[in-house]
Amino acid sequence: MQLQLRFFATFREAVGQKTIEREYDEGLVVGEVLSALESEFDGLEGQLLENGDLKPQINVLKNGREVLHMQGIETTMEDGDTLSVFPPVAGG
Amino acid sequence: MSDLSLDATQLDRYSRHIIMDEVGPEGQKKLLDGRVLVVGAGGLGAPVIQYLAAAGVGTIGVADNDVVERSNLQRQVIHADADVGVPKVESAANFVTRLNPDVTVEQHHLRVGPDNVESLVADYDVVVDASDNFQTRYVVNDACRLAEIPVAHGAIYKFEGQATTLVPGGPCYRCLFPEAPEPGTVPDCATTGVLGVLPGTLGCIQATEAVKLLIDAGEPLAGKLLFYDAMEMSFETVPYRQNPDCPVCGDDPISSVDEVEYTGGCAVRAD
Repeated sequence: MQLQLRFFATFREAVGQKTIEREYDEGLVVGEVLSALESEFDGLEGQLLENGDLKPQINVLKNGREVLHMQGIETTMEDGDTLSVFPPVAGG
Repeated sequence: MSDLSLDATQLDRYSRHIIMDEVGPEGQKKLLDGRVLVVGAGGLGAPVIQYLAAAGVGTIGVADNDVVERSNLQRQVIHADADVGVPKVESAANFVTRLNPDVTVEQHHLRVGPDNVESLVADYDVVVDASDNFQTRYVVNDACRLAEIPVAHGAIYKFEGQATTLVPGGPCYRCLFPEAPEPGTVPDCATTGVLGVLPGTLGCIQATEAVKLLIDAGEPLAGKLLFYDAMEMSFETVPYRQNPDCPVCGDDPISSVDEVEYTGGCAVRAD
């Protein structure tokens, strides 16, 4: 399945661009996709997952909705879905 | 001051507000009676203070412990070259005095923290979070939610910005980001740089939200996070919901900021 992946602020810098597309096996869940991203991009390593769950410092959206209010990292991804990952920023 | 009537000068000054049904003389009186605390008089705070003062918000509290530096002037438009070395709260007050004599500035030359936040925010109708660090942002979120004061939140990073409005009954900042990044993991403006006009855009959005809250008009940016990307010139809004497990606005909330450890990740202390 093909997924569109979007990154904001510091994550965008770690990936080098705001939006990428990746091909993954069918039926992968959010946690597996995030794990694959941590492996692919050095700057994301340890930034997305912690103790088998989402890090409390980030927010992850599937098709614009928080996965926190779906099945969290067990939320299933489907072909054509968009996964967005963003950190808080504090500058003022 | 609810029986305040507008004098001839005010009718002239605020005429473009007053002729609109959505504001009118009643809305303008609400602005003149309004009390807004702006936390931070830097990149975001500058346009917020500027527009709230121009709009005739009667009392603007400004909380900041910094002095103006020359490197601020590329974006902090209320401070000028001659203000370098002057406390930002003082420079902000001087700017507002020149702009609009109807406005009183309350100067709070301090760093907002757990020891002073509750008494500081208590007297204000709306708080604008224009601060520049996570500790202050979590302190402001937590204290304002406990005191049921709405917060117009804005934050910037290089050429991106985030804005949302945290209203009692709606989700709070911790519903979006339960804990702050560890200190040093998200670099600040001094380290990364920031596009000078970026906080102008975000600060104007925050000021807009504060004005709407004061006059009780329109729809606040509640439960929605607005992303602004200056390089793409794009705005997008994503919805977010209240987290029942949120330690500040969820089913079992804390009763005081004293229960939070505001160093590191700003997590609520385990009992």
